[in-house]
Amino acid sequence: MKEQQAAPSNSLSTTSPSTLQNLKDIAALIETGAYMREVRRIVRAIRWTIQLRKNLKASVLSAFLNFALVPGSEVHSRLSSYVPKEDEMEVDTATSATQSPSKHSLPEIEIYCYLVVLVFLIDQKRYSEAKACSSASIARLKNLNRRTVDVLASRLYFYYSLSYELTGDLAEIRGNLLALHRTATLRHDELGQETLLNLLLRNYLHYNLYDQAEKLRSKAPRFEAHSNQQFCRYLFYLGKIRTIQLEYTDAKESLLQAARKAPISALGFRVLCNKWAVIVRLLLGEIPERTVFMQKGMEKALRPYFELTNAVRIGDLELFKTVAEKFSSTFSSDRTNNLIVRLRHNVIRTGLRNISISYSKISLADVAKKLRLDSPNPIADAESIVSKAIRDGAIDATLDHANGWMVSKETGDIYSTNEPQIAFNSRIAFCLNMHNEAVRALRFPPNSHKEKESAEKRRERQQQEQELAKHIAEEDDDEF
Amino acid sequence: MRGCAARLQKILGKIERERERERERERWIPKSQSCRKFSSDSKRRSYGRILILAPNSSRSSRFLLYGSSKLSRVSLTSFKSLPPLFVETPNAVHELTLARDIYEHAVVLSVKIEDQDAFERDFFQLKPYYTDARGRLPPSPQEYPILGLNLLRLLVQNRIAEFHTELELLSPNALENPCIKHAVELEQSFMEGAYNRVLSARQTVPHETYVYFMDLLAKTVRDEIAGCSEKAYDSVSIKDAKQMLLFSSDKEVLDYINEEHPEWEIKNGFVFFQRAKESAPCKEIPSLQLINQTLSYARELERIV
Repeated sequence: MKEQQAAPSNSLSTTSPSTLQNLKDIAALIETGAYMREVRRIVRAIRWTIQLRKNLKASVLSAFLNFALVPGSEVHSRLSSYVPKEDEMEVDTATSATQSPSKHSLPEIEIYCYLVVLVFLIDQKRYSEAKACSSASIARLKNLNRRTVDVLASRLYFYYSLSYELTGDLAEIRGNLLALHRTATLRHDELGQETLLNLLLRNYLHYNLYDQAEKLRSKAPRFEAHSNQQFCRYLFYLGKIRTIQLEYTDAKESLLQAARKAPISALGFRVLCNKWAVIVRLLLGEIPERTVFMQKGMEKALRPYFELTNAVRIGDLELFKTVAEKFSSTFSSDRTNNLIVRLRHNVIRTGLRNISISYSKISLADVAKKLRLDSPNPIADAESIVSKAIRDGAIDATLDHANGWMVSKETGDIYSTNEPQIAFNSRIAFCLNMHNEAVRALRFPPNSHKEKESAEKRRERQQQEQELAKHIAEEDDDEF
Repeated sequence: MRGCAARLQKILGKIERERERERERERWIPKSQSCRKFSSDSKRRSYGRILILAPNSSRSSRFLLYGSSKLSRVSLTSFKSLPPLFVETPNAVHELTLARDIYEHAVVLSVKIEDQDAFERDFFQLKPYYTDARGRLPPSPQEYPILGLNLLRLLVQNRIAEFHTELELLSPNALENPCIKHAVELEQSFMEGAYNRVLSARQTVPHETYVYFMDLLAKTVRDEIAGCSEKAYDSVSIKDAKQMLLFSSDKEVLDYINEEHPEWEIKNGFVFFQRAKESAPCKEIPSLQLINQTLSYARELERIV
C-alpha cells in the first residue's frame, strides 16, 4: 500500500497522471489479492482495467511496465518491445518510479502486464503484434498453476482468441485451445474451462463445424456458471447448434434466455440473439410479436427479419421470395441464408392454414392457385402437400380424391377439453420456476458486511446458517 | 515407403489391365455421350472409369475391385503426409492426391456395390481431404458429386439434422453446383410434401451414381405417401391408390397393403383407412391431478410470501 502514497508526487510529471495512477492502484489491488488469495479483488481489478481501456497510451503503458516489472528482466524487455517509444524523456521520468519498493515479480502482476499490453495492441489494431504477444503470454501461462491467476488467465484466453480471429487465423489455435481446456479441467479452473469452451465453440462455429462443436459441447464437463457473460455466450452458441440440428424448441429457449441475460450494453450480441430467435420462432410456426422488432436500438438491424416475418405471417410465397432476395446480402452476412431456405415450407403451411380456416370446402386447383405453386402439375402437388399438412397436424381437414376437394372440419370447442387447464398449468410453472431461479441467482459476497470477521468465526457462522437452512428445508417437507 | 508406392503402382496397373479388357468390351456396348467426358481425365482416374464406362460389368468384378481398393487403402497408412499428421514430405502433394483419388473411387465403388455402411465409412475418410487439406491440394472435380451423394444418403436414411449440418459446411458457390442443388431441392420438396417433384427428380439426376439412392428414396416416399393418405382420406378407390402409391398393377397395391398396412380395409374396390380416434371432449374433471397442482401452487406461494 506504500507505493500508493509515494506515487502522486511522481505522477505529476507524466502526461496523464490519472491513468498511470489508476494502473498502479490496480497493480496494488492485484498484489493484495494475490497475497490474501482473494480472487474477488482480482476480478474487480479487471473490471477497473476495462474502464481505463480508452485512456491507455503508449507512454503510460511503458511507464507502467517500468513500474511493475523488473527492468532488464526478460518479460520486461519483451513486453516493452511491443509498446512504441514515443518520447525518451517520458520513459526516463517513469524509471524513477521504479525506485519505489516494487522489486517484486509476482506472476499475477506479470500476467496482468501481458493483459494490459495485449488490450492496448488490439485497440491500436496492431493485430500481428497482438498475436505474437498473446502467444507468448499463453506459453508463460502454461507453466503457472495458481488459483489467483485463473481469472487473469481467462481474460487472456479471450484476447488470445480475439487477436487470431481478427487476423482470420482462428483455425490455427484450435489445438492450443483444446490443450488449454484440458489443463484447465485438470486444475479445476472452472472459469477457465467456461471461457475456453466458449472460445472453442466460437472457433468451430466460425467455420460452420456444427458437428464437432456439438460433440465437444455434449462431452465437456458442465457446472454452474461463474460468469454471466460467458454463460450468455454459451447459451447463444448452444442455440445456434440446436437450430442447425432442427431442435427448434430447445434452440428457442436458449436463444431467448441468452438475449434476456445479456447486459444492456451488449447491443450487438442481443441483436444477433434476437435475429436467430426470430427465425427459430418462425420455423416453429410462431409469429414473434411486433414489440420484438421495436426494441430500442434494434429497429434498423431487425428490419429485414421484420419483413420476413410479415411474409410468413401472410403466407404469401411471392412476397417471401422477394424479401429473401431483397435482403439476401444481409442474410448471407448473418449466415442465416440456409435457415431462410428452410422457412419456405412454413410459408406454405401458414397459407394453407389460412385457406383451411376461411373455406369449409375448396377445390385443390384453387388451393394450388392461392398458394401460387409454380410446378408442372399443381393439383397433384397441392394434394400431397395438403395431405402431409393434415398428417403433421397443421390443418384439420379431409381430402376427397374423387372430386378433388379439401373439406375443412368444424373447429371443436377447445374449452370442452383439458387443453386450457394444461396451458394454465405450464404458465404458472414457468412463473414459479423463474422466481426460484431469480432467488438462487442472487449471490452475496461471503463477508461484505463483516470485513474483519476471523476465519474461525466465519466457519461457526456458516455452520449455523447451514443448520438453519436444513431446518427450513425439513419444515417444508413436513408441511406436505 | 518405396515398396508401398510400388504396390500401389501394381494395383493401378491391374486396374489398367482391367480397363483394357473393358475397352475391348466397350466396342460392343454403345457409349453414351455423358461418359465420354471422363476419358480425358488423368491416368490414375482409370479406376473409377471402368465402372462408369461399364455399368454392365458383373457384380462380382465390382466386389473384386472394392477388395483391391481396400488393399490400396491399407498401404496408404504408411504415408506420413496424409491426415492427421500432415508431415511436409517432398512429394506430399502427390501422395495426398493419390490418397484422395483412392478414397473417391472407394466411395463410388461402395455405391456400386450398394453398401451404405461402406459408403459412410469411406466418406468420412475422404472428408478431411476436402476440408483440412483444402489449402494443400488442387480441388478435385469429383468433390461436389460426392458431397451431393452424401447429402442424398443422409436424406434417404432420414437423418435430416445431419443433412443440415453438412449443408452448413458448404460455401454459397458450392450450393450453386448442380449436384448439390439437386439434393437440396429434393430435401425441400420432401419436407413440403411435394412427392411428385421428388420422384420426377429421378429423371434429372446429375450423375449416374445417384440413381441407386434415388431408387431407395422412392421407397421412402411411398411409405410417406401411405402414411399421409391414411390421415387425409376416408377412402380411396384401388385405381387411385395404385396411382398415388406409384404401382403399375392392382396386385402390387394389394400386396403392399397386406404387407405394410394390414389394418386398412378393402371393400368393393375401395380402400378404407382406419381413422385415428379423435380427442373426445373430456366429461370428467381430473380431480386428483388438479388437487396436486393446486397444492404445489400453494406451497410455492408460501415460499414467496
